[in-house]
Amino acid sequence: MEEIVPKFNYIVVVILMMTGLWSMLAQSNLIKKCIGMAIFQTGIILFFISIGAKNNASIPIVAKEPLGQALGQAHAPEGSQPPAKPELAAAKAEAYPDPPDVNKLTNPLTQILMLTAIVVGVATLGVGLALAQKVYQQHNSFDEDEILENQTK
Amino acid sequence: MTEHLPILIVLAPLLGAVFAALTSWFWPRVSFPIVLFGLAISCISSLLLVFEVPASGVIHYQLGGWGKQKEYADMVVGIQISVDYLNGLILAAVTTIALLTAIYSQPTVERELEGQQRYFYALFSLLVVGLLGITITGDIFNLYVFMEIAALSSYALLAYGKKRATMASFNYLIMGTMGACLYLLGVGFVFVKAGTLNIENLSQIIPDSLFSSQAAFVGFVLIIVGAWSKMAFFPMHGWLTNAYTYAPTASGALLAPLATKVSVYAMLRIMITVYSIDYIIQSPNIQTVALLLSTIAILVGSFYSLTQTNLRKIACFFIVSEIGYMVGGAWLANAPGLKGAIYHVVADAAMTSAIFMVIGCIIYRLGQADLKKLDGLYYRMPVTFIALVITMAALIGVPPTCGFFSKFYLIQGAAQAGTWHFVIALLISSLIKATILFRIIEIAYNKVPNPAKDGNETIPREEAPLTMLIPTALVALGLIALGLATDTLVTDFIAKALPAGLPS
Repeated sequence: MEEIVPKFNYIVVVILMMTGLWSMLAQSNLIKKCIGMAIFQTGIILFFISIGAKNNASIPIVAKEPLGQALGQAHAPEGSQPPAKPELAAAKAEAYPDPPDVNKLTNPLTQILMLTAIVVGVATLGVGLALAQKVYQQHNSFDEDEILENQTK
Repeated sequence: MTEHLPILIVLAPLLGAVFAALTSWFWPRVSFPIVLFGLAISCISSLLLVFEVPASGVIHYQLGGWGKQKEYADMVVGIQISVDYLNGLILAAVTTIALLTAIYSQPTVERELEGQQRYFYALFSLLVVGLLGITITGDIFNLYVFMEIAALSSYALLAYGKKRATMASFNYLIMGTMGACLYLLGVGFVFVKAGTLNIENLSQIIPDSLFSSQAAFVGFVLIIVGAWSKMAFFPMHGWLTNAYTYAPTASGALLAPLATKVSVYAMLRIMITVYSIDYIIQSPNIQTVALLLSTIAILVGSFYSLTQTNLRKIACFFIVSEIGYMVGGAWLANAPGLKGAIYHVVADAAMTSAIFMVIGCIIYRLGQADLKKLDGLYYRMPVTFIALVITMAALIGVPPTCGFFSKFYLIQGAAQAGTWHFVIALLISSLIKATILFRIIEIAYNKVPNPAKDGNETIPREEAPLTMLIPTALVALGLIALGLATDTLVTDFIAKALPAGLPS
């Protein structure tokens, strides 16, 4: 249990993505392929959202001006931050007389990225369904094998 | 004014697409000139910028003024677009070919897509926006968005074709979406570890601290596999041939040269700039696999092209093998190999554009491009035929044309790396292309049609209209010009795009 619970989100993501991928590649029905595509994209969206989530944390709106700093600390990469320069620290202290607790701030970037990805996903699904409809008008079938047979006739 | 040129490259065709779609409700005739105008502005600005790069160095443009932030340890916040030695050349190639194809496409679109020109041109312009965006952006998530803009408009453009086009386009949609999703997942892995999406920042963070990170490695593999399925690299090449063969002439002429080449650029950018060549040298397993796959891609593409009789399908299989050249050259990870790969992106864009334009001219006059129906092509369409021969010579790699020089660098790089299977595949592919050229000459030049049959004294000249013929001739001559300009291109741009300290 202790192995599973902290990684629960990743397990769900992997299951969703594999379901979607299998449906996209192995199903012969065009609509099922479209559904698989949507599930695959949902898995990725969930992955991004879950890496940006944090317990008991709120949106990073800080009263004093430079927002970038708080964001940078809220999502500091391990060991990649350059060593703090003294003048930088002084500038920080001046900008933030009362620095917010970075553990209480989430990184909003993942959600913004996923808003874009959702739009892209909806557009792709729309084009996919439109194409499937056009195929159905031509061949009177959604089944890939029947369509192939129809084409080679 | 000049400082806003970088964004103008993308913005001009985007506005062109929007206005073409809007005005088409009232004045359907206006959409083509609007799109042409947007593409012309984009082309001029990119050409101006390319020649500015050697003079003033890499050009950065911060969208919304969100540049390097002092209080954020000089990291770039927000989206940055930049023009450097690597993408400058490709921008110039993409905008020039897009403009020429737009001029070229007008008669064929009028004939093949009667009444739908206005939607077609809006999509045409939107596709160019996507391709230019991929090339110019400095942010790996933004790259994904532009990739999908280009992909969505290309699904629609390809589905305009008749009969089998719809199903081919649907298959492309499934493969393309899978590739894009894998890419996005890879971006997620990189973002988790590095905390930034900016290419300039990543190029410092990844070599500094993430070389041994498992997550960064998984991200790298996902991004590369995503890019491979977008560019129709060997195991994922199935969608390409049908999609491009059954598409309308104009869609094929625009998509075939540009869409795959821009995906190759995206792969090169991730390999050279984001992860650095050292990373590839450090992971020899994927290097071996990639080189083996590119060898197979070259052989599969070439041998399948021998079995086809439809000239357009032959050209599609050429693309599959040319993708093998570029991916192989890039994964050789030494200076000549990378030079060859980058040079070949530009050269192959021109070559594929030329061959699809020639085929479009033939289809416009003869209704089809089946090898058996090309009897006496030389006597009926001499200019088109000469353009076809020049293009085929470039694809084979005959010296003054650009195809020779890219192959020269690629073979040099492969020999240096000791990857002999790649050298052999390159040579076999050249031989097969030569076989196809001689077959075309045999049919089109040696079989003289009988003029008396139609009651004419001489064989009638049936060239395609001038608006099609001039761009075709220009691109074909451009192949020779590119070849002659190789020295300048390589020393002034491509050599400088390579990272320092490569095994030369």
